[in-house]
Amino acid sequence: MNEFAELVHDLRALPTAAPESLRERVLALGEPVPRRTLPQVSWRRSLVVLVPACAVALVSAAVVHGVFSSGTSPKPQALTSERGVAGEALAPTTRPPFVPPDGNRHQDYEASMTVRVKDLDALTDRTNEAMQVARSYGGYVASVQQSTQAGEPGEAYLILRVPVGRVEEAMVRLSDLGTVLARQVSVVDLEQTLRQQRAHILRLKLFIARATEQLKASLPADVRLRLQLQLQGARDDLARVTRANGATLNQAALSHVALTLTTQKAATPVQKSSTGRFERAARDAGSFLAGTGAVGLFLLIVLSPLIVVAGAAVVGLRAYRRREERRLLAA
Amino acid sequence: MRAVNAVTSSWPGLQVDRPTFASVAERELDAVHRYLVFLTGNRAVAEDLTGETFEKAFRGWPRFDPRRGTPRAWLCRIARSVALDHFRAEERRRRREERYAGSAGEVVSEVLGPSSLEAALAQLSPAEREVVALRVVLDLDGPTAARVLGISPTACSTRLSRALKRLEELIDDERVR
Repeated sequence: MNEFAELVHDLRALPTAAPESLRERVLALGEPVPRRTLPQVSWRRSLVVLVPACAVALVSAAVVHGVFSSGTSPKPQALTSERGVAGEALAPTTRPPFVPPDGNRHQDYEASMTVRVKDLDALTDRTNEAMQVARSYGGYVASVQQSTQAGEPGEAYLILRVPVGRVEEAMVRLSDLGTVLARQVSVVDLEQTLRQQRAHILRLKLFIARATEQLKASLPADVRLRLQLQLQGARDDLARVTRANGATLNQAALSHVALTLTTQKAATPVQKSSTGRFERAARDAGSFLAGTGAVGLFLLIVLSPLIVVAGAAVVGLRAYRRREERRLLAA
Repeated sequence: MRAVNAVTSSWPGLQVDRPTFASVAERELDAVHRYLVFLTGNRAVAEDLTGETFEKAFRGWPRFDPRRGTPRAWLCRIARSVALDHFRAEERRRRREERYAGSAGEVVSEVLGPSSLEAALAQLSPAEREVVALRVVLDLDGPTAARVLGISPTACSTRLSRALKRLEELIDDERVR
């Protein structure tokens, strides 16, 4: 023990003080100019602060999003869609009116509606009634499918074509077949398409008239042949564009109504109360959070290989430096 | 001897007494020099590296956080990094000379002193000498020395124990001669 103490004493007594020249050199450095730097915070402490801060920011953003989005209910003019919550029926008093077709314009009018009926017997009766409604307004039934399997709710799916001028009345009558569960109307203006088709037809007719006139005169054989070919092409084009124009007019004349009749029971209607907006806000906020989570998960999945590679590189670099240090200091 | 000055951090709420760089340099210069003499085994190299260490510390002084360790441990970490850079540069120099001269480059001889203790120390590896320097000469505690060396406190104790045992054996051998 005494030997060890002696060794320690000898080691500490070794003349290893810094020489005066070195002391002067170091002390000549003076005092560094004080810089106002951010406080040094370890990454663990940073995480402790940053993680809750990010969580609070995310939740706040979700709440703000929920509150703002629940306060507005934008509906495009040309496309309306109403659906009861969880299959809840649209109450007749709160049911918004149909978007009527514009009588002065050609429009492609499409509507779909889901109507709940009482039972399978009613399903058959209401299907027949729907077909009669279409016919009574000068339309026709494009297709009808009805399925009634044991243990399953019965369903009938009809495609009705009703003249656009009377589709509003037809929709009202179809709504009376049962309880409306969902309704959607889509209106696409066809005026632009028709204008283009008419202009094209006019151009083709003019060309055909001129070409026919030219062919009456005497022309060189090759010019005549080329003109005849162009005339034939123009006539073919005219026939095609005229057919397309007819189809567009037909599309504008008859609306397309997809009607679904179902016996499926509606879910218990949700009581409308003063908490409705709060619930919508909560639901929107939840959706926002779920969306953010999905994006985060996607990024994690996409970036995880890079993170693993970067982590492995850091670990490898550290191991390499450690081994190199050991080698240098073992010499 | 100048008085040791201390200032309070300019950041409110932290309230950490922070010494001035000049006071730290004056107080720790000998300790850092001792550590580098032990680590390099060469007084002239140690002197150069000590100067370099304090220049580096001068530049990094704003980053020094007194809550995370003593100035001595912080300076020793810088000194170790400077010394390792020196060892790497020396190794590159030797390799270059070997490549161009076709023979082994000159190895800087370890010059500690003429006493039997210094002769024995010169035979230890730099790793052994530095743990002796940190734990025995500079009197750093186990965890602090381990942090400077980048190893666990247990590994530090084991290394110190082996180094001292070997040193005693070498001293005995030197005395016999």
